[in-house]
Amino acid sequence: MSTDVHQYGELGTQLLQESRRSTQTDTLLKYNDALVRSIIREQRDLEKSLVSQIAKTPENEAPPPAVIIFQTAILRNKRCLLAYHSHRLDRLRDMYWAVGGALPHILSDPDTRSKLSPHEVDYLRSYHSSAMDFRGEFSSELDIMASITVPPKELHVSVKVVKDCGVIQTELGTIDFKKGQRFVVRRADIEHLIVQGYLEEVSGS
Amino acid sequence: MSNWDDEWDADVRMAPPQPALAALDLIPQKEETPLELLIRHWMNERHAPEILPAQEALLSSILDHLRRQSEAVQTLRGDPSTSDDEHLRITLVQLDVERVKFIVRSYVRTRLYKIEKYARYITSSPAIQTCLTASERDYASRHADLNDRHFSFSVLQSLPEPQRHLDDEVPYYMPPMMTTPDTTRPVFVHALKDCPPVILPDGTRHEMTKGHISLTHFSVVEHLVARGEAELV
Repeated sequence: MSTDVHQYGELGTQLLQESRRSTQTDTLLKYNDALVRSIIREQRDLEKSLVSQIAKTPENEAPPPAVIIFQTAILRNKRCLLAYHSHRLDRLRDMYWAVGGALPHILSDPDTRSKLSPHEVDYLRSYHSSAMDFRGEFSSELDIMASITVPPKELHVSVKVVKDCGVIQTELGTIDFKKGQRFVVRRADIEHLIVQGYLEEVSGS
Repeated sequence: MSNWDDEWDADVRMAPPQPALAALDLIPQKEETPLELLIRHWMNERHAPEILPAQEALLSSILDHLRRQSEAVQTLRGDPSTSDDEHLRITLVQLDVERVKFIVRSYVRTRLYKIEKYARYITSSPAIQTCLTASERDYASRHADLNDRHFSFSVLQSLPEPQRHLDDEVPYYMPPMMTTPDTTRPVFVHALKDCPPVILPDGTRHEMTKGHISLTHFSVVEHLVARGEAELV
């Protein structure tokens, strides 16, 4: 069976292709636990072969060339594994900042949640608390988590409520945003709600 | 050489606080205003591959100023004797405050992005750490730990013992394990004054007069940017 025979490093290439696909389609793919595990198994086999090759070599003699092959394969696989995980972390961090650091918003989305490994969920939680610590170093005047894509042109913005989001403190006092209502509010007060998809900007009004 | 020092002084000098309703940045001044200075550092930071020295004094003076402006706005808005005309001006000031905040935010976040990207490099290099503020340093080490832990839990701890390290000596044909800034990245550099000649990578001398724009490696003009003789555009 051809599926049982493969070259060292083939699985690593598959893993990297996933990362590449993820970049090209700009989506987070499901964590490929099975593939990661099989590469780790391959690493263990490689390590065994390496050790046995070295053990077979008589003392004072140069090890056989096979040793180099094993070593290279081990290093390469390891780098592929790390690259895959690192690439995913980059994506997760991008997602995190795209919603203005609203972690519950990411974690409560079942679709996203199903794509994460348990370690990644832990990572996001720790990352969130680290980012919050950093944010706390700035005065309450400046929220560094807010959007940095478009510079503000107007102070106020006209919004439509897409999802109920409860009572929010604004410059004009508290507002209870209910689905379907429209408001003109200060952008800085509600920007995070637009980012998270509770409110929608209404242009040209 | 004495003009280096002058330039450096200009970097750290604070502008006197302006009256509450005067917009932050609209007053034309011969000297660079704090806002212009911030914009220059922001642009430099956005274009430079490396993390540049933190501008803590400048940033805190601008944040202070923003706070004073916001307080003044609050007071004036609450005051019933404020005229319509003044209300209009208040709106302008508020918008201006938001726009300055945007720049500060973008500046801080650009630095944060680099800190995350080079976290391991930063924690291993005391020289780079001097460019960071205390909270940025803390963030860098937290971030490096966080990533190491994730790699360790997800991958490394399942590998055979000899393969579990994050700092392997790699053969010459593999990229190093640690991400470091690429100082050979090309940048557009704009000379703010006549600059002393720089040596290009091929060994030739290149002199930039005031207003001149060149495209070159970041490492070539790094010192000019640091001294404020040139800016990245």
